[in-house]
Amino acid sequence: MMALSTPGLTELLDDWQQGDRSALERLTPLIYDELRRIAHRYVRRERNGHTLQTTALVNEAYLRLAGQEKPEWQNRAHFFAVTAQVMRHILTDHARRRRYAKHGGEAQQVSLEEASAMTYQRAAELVALDEALDGLAKIDPRKSRVVELRYFGGLSLEETADVLGISLMTVRRDWRAAKAWLFRTMNDEG
Amino acid sequence: MTSERWQQVEEVLQAALDRPPHERSSFLNEACSGDEGLRQEASSLIDAYDEAGDFIEEPAIAHDAHVLLGNNGQDNIGREIGPYQIIERLGAGGMGEVYLAEDRRLARQVALKILPPYFVSDEARLRRFQREARAASALNHPNILTIHEVGEVDQVHFITTEFVDGQTLRELIAQENLSLAGVLEIAIQVAEALTVAHAAGIVHRDIKPENIMRRRGGLVKLLDFGIAKLLEPPSSDSETAKTQTETGVVLGTVGYMSPEQARALPVDERTDIWSLGVVLYEMLAYRVPFVGATRMDTMVAILEREPAPLFQFASAPAVLSELERVVSKALRKERDERYQSTGEMLTDLKSVRQKLEPAGAHVLDDSMRGARMLPGVDEDSFGPSRYETTKARSYRYGLQVLSIAVLIAVMIVTALLYGRSKLRANAVAPATIASGKLYLKMDPAEQLAFVDEQEQRISAMMGDRPMKLNDEAINAIKSNLDRYLARTDSTSAKPGAESLRVIYGRAAPIIPLIAPSFSERKIPLVVGIYLPMIESEYKPCYENSAGSKGLFQFMPQTAEQYGVARGEMCDVEKMAPAAAHYIADRMAELGDDSQSMTLVLLSYNRGADSVREALRRLRETDSHYERNFWTLFANRDKLDDSFRNESAYYIPSFFAAAIIGENPQTFDLQTPPLSTIVSNSASTKPSPN
Repeated sequence: MMALSTPGLTELLDDWQQGDRSALERLTPLIYDELRRIAHRYVRRERNGHTLQTTALVNEAYLRLAGQEKPEWQNRAHFFAVTAQVMRHILTDHARRRRYAKHGGEAQQVSLEEASAMTYQRAAELVALDEALDGLAKIDPRKSRVVELRYFGGLSLEETADVLGISLMTVRRDWRAAKAWLFRTMNDEG
Repeated sequence: MTSERWQQVEEVLQAALDRPPHERSSFLNEACSGDEGLRQEASSLIDAYDEAGDFIEEPAIAHDAHVLLGNNGQDNIGREIGPYQIIERLGAGGMGEVYLAEDRRLARQVALKILPPYFVSDEARLRRFQREARAASALNHPNILTIHEVGEVDQVHFITTEFVDGQTLRELIAQENLSLAGVLEIAIQVAEALTVAHAAGIVHRDIKPENIMRRRGGLVKLLDFGIAKLLEPPSSDSETAKTQTETGVVLGTVGYMSPEQARALPVDERTDIWSLGVVLYEMLAYRVPFVGATRMDTMVAILEREPAPLFQFASAPAVLSELERVVSKALRKERDERYQSTGEMLTDLKSVRQKLEPAGAHVLDDSMRGARMLPGVDEDSFGPSRYETTKARSYRYGLQVLSIAVLIAVMIVTALLYGRSKLRANAVAPATIASGKLYLKMDPAEQLAFVDEQEQRISAMMGDRPMKLNDEAINAIKSNLDRYLARTDSTSAKPGAESLRVIYGRAAPIIPLIAPSFSERKIPLVVGIYLPMIESEYKPCYENSAGSKGLFQFMPQTAEQYGVARGEMCDVEKMAPAAAHYIADRMAELGDDSQSMTLVLLSYNRGADSVREALRRLRETDSHYERNFWTLFANRDKLDDSFRNESAYYIPSFFAAAIIGENPQTFDLQTPPLSTIVSNSASTKPSPN
């Protein structure tokens, strides 16, 4: 029986899991569309008036991309992790360009894409967070992943525990320690 | 800090946080006795934790969703990027904005696409993109969309391509405006474009009507080369052409995929031949040869089923059977049995064309109205035989596939130009006036008057206060109506192209299942009757790509909130009460504003919050506005882009749907006015879906 699910997505996820960075590059455009769709719905506030559950949306995105009814747990977890990374990648890139544009010279126009998309303050915040997260990853990679999954991937504590294969208690502790460390780091740099 | 030190610090930190705040200080003193540095670290972290509050508690997307969507693009109108001046926005694709711009050096119009930031942040990727754009721009052929420039100004990376003022094949098919000669002409020009590309070792991989455009005058352009848009070769800084074959991650329309693509096998130019075969089939039959209820079903059809024979669809001169042979040969599931090169297919197509035309000039289809192409000129401009074939075979194993970047640009241009066409081939013929007769027989002025009158009637049925609509509003309704009608005679079963008779025929048995819930909640019946038309065209199990499902297009979470389990979402008798309940809730939320059902409908589409917000904004500018949708519509340039893009069509299309449904005689439908079915429900048996 031939593979009827979206060919390649599983392989890409596996590759990425094995540490192949270029797999992330290849996944990004796929996910980008889905992330836009999610973002769009966030902005539109579909049909129930409540804030959407990001994870439900990312889950639907995964189902769509994978084309299967019941994806293996493994790949779904990877997918969430990848989505979080991609989201982080996209937003921090954007933030960096936004900040650079301002520093590039007062007379210089802010680059067109950034003009009304992100405030300077928000951009600075995101860049600082990204750098702080990198710093955290150096001394405690798992906590950095937890923050990435929760903040950029929108996962709940339980879902994060699922994806990382650790207990909920561990995630809770990781989260609070990471929060403290990041907050202090970002505020120390004033 | 090292990670060992951090482990120590964390241990103390966690233990301290486990204790109530007032005990922490003394705990720290104990646990860190002797190590003042440790105590300070832990202490400052505890402080940080206390101060942090809801720092990073809310996911980034909550703040930054709009970043992903890009800015609304309108800010860029009139701006200059290098030599290009942006004139207007053509549209937004999946990855950014595309604009119509003018190259001031040459005083010509171009399509300009700004590349998204994540894409250009990687130096290596950018260099690769530039190299491949150069390769693509080396494909120089009248039938291939020209890439002008890849550039960067002030941190903005962009790509400019030829701007094609015309229609996509998708539109042409939807308008059913293709004569046999026109079909042939398109197929031939696409085949010629492919021959050139294949000779250069490039496989398109995504031939479909959305990627084919026809300019005024008949010139066909092939867009969007290389579906490797979804996949880049693994990074390597070698500048040499890669000889690997690519397996593609496939998104988008499945119907045009070749069997080898469906199997994620490596492809070669015979994949393009297959897809061209599918397009040819669709141009002739107005339906695709392989279709299924889901993507997977469609792939099964591609792999295992034979398409319905062509002769049953089109009116058939003898020429058609020849064409059928060409199509069949292109659609062999075994690629060794297909045409082995586009050159071969081109030869066959041309000989069919020969049979079709009288000697000398040939006339193309109606929309060209007298433009002629002389055979001599044709041959010279569009690729003489030196491009044909034996070359193509040798490239099968050395394929160079284009990168995302180039594709994005070209792909985006496709998507936008779709909405951009100025040609309206279906001009309304001057009518002999017979009042009370078919809408299609009325002249435009009569049609407008009819729409105006009917809008008021529908409004009254909705319980809205009568309001005279201005021309723009009437035209908005009318254009939706005309769009629906463009499908009246279609027998195609393609979603989105079914005939109105089929759709309204489907509605008839469903209406009596819907009506009771709505009348129970005192919601005007006309809402319950026509909302499913614009949401799902009366398909109880329709699911759109964003995940909403069912007659009333609920998200599964919402359905659950209203008492419908996921598995029940296709059940009309369960969804109707949920929909009525939902609407009643929206009405409660809107309060006074729910007096206008148009606003209630709008809140169905966008949520009550955003409707209230829009109203509030208007009230700031003019306190005497009439509180209904049409006021918002008239002032939509003060509202946000997504309102303009989405909601501006929603209500007008509701009215269009209702006008049609309530005047079946005028639109040549075979159902009674849908609102009358309700009262006859006793005599109408609901039929199973």
